[in-house]
Amino acid sequence: MLIFSVFKTLTDQTVSVELKNDLSITGTLKSVDQFLNIRLDNIKVQDEARHPHMMAVKNCFIRGSVVRYVQLPAEHVDTQLLEDATRRETAVQKR
Amino acid sequence: MDASSSGIQEPFDLIRLSLSERVFVKLRGDRELTGVLHAYDGHMNLILSDVEETIMIVDQVEGAPEGHATVNVAKRKMEMLFVRGDGVILVSPPSRT
Amino acid sequence: MDDSTPPPPPPAAAEPPPPPTTSGSPTDFLKGVVGKRVVVRLTSGVDYRGILSCLDGYMNIALEQTEEHVNGRVTNRYGDAFIRGNNVLYISAAEPL
Repeated sequence: MLIFSVFKTLTDQTVSVELKNDLSITGTLKSVDQFLNIRLDNIKVQDEARHPHMMAVKNCFIRGSVVRYVQLPAEHVDTQLLEDATRRETAVQKR
Repeated sequence: MDASSSGIQEPFDLIRLSLSERVFVKLRGDRELTGVLHAYDGHMNLILSDVEETIMIVDQVEGAPEGHATVNVAKRKMEMLFVRGDGVILVSPPSRT
Repeated sequence: MDDSTPPPPPPAAAEPPPPPTTSGSPTDFLKGVVGKRVVVRLTSGVDYRGILSCLDGYMNIALEQTEEHVNGRVTNRYGDAFIRGNNVLYISAAEPL
């Protein structure tokens, strides 16, 4: 839930999603759900020469389970807030 | 279940104590990361900053005996990274000795 | 594979007063090995040898003084290591219980 919230705060920011098949897609984060499925707009595929079939694609829905990494805009991530939120969430989970 | 030394009762305590510390992460696909840990959840989804990724690319030499492969290493840096938990094999905190 | 330690013993048949850890349920085994030297084998074939700090219901594992063994060679050492449970093939006691 915590990570889901983090992604929600990053909507309309630019992120780079690296898939488990090594495809990397940069775009504007339009929405995210609890499974960390991701919708991206204005997408640009890295190494387009290797993925010519993606050239005409302007937006996409990425199933959360195929994601390896998401590169986040560091200036929009409050690391202190994240650490506090993580400690709080783990405290709740500890019955 | 009592911890032997450091007062750890469950494995996730090890990770919690590593928040805001540099950790080593071993991932599926011969990848390793080091970065500063800022967030995690029960799936081991992670958010790290100041990340260096190392990818081991093993070139099995033709006709060479088993274990005589040359290992090429690719490195890259990323400022702020979300890592999906299902790829995580191992996380090691900085040694607290 | 190689000649390292065998997997955990199967749960023994019902035996009125179960002597601690040498027989009994898998859970009894796991309780018995906490704080002991163990070998954790992952599905990838990699072994981790260390002292079992604790583990949880997903088989997430915290190890201390861990050595990573690949093909019988030590490839890494970690003061502490968290291993994500889904990668675990077995946990084997590496000293008498």
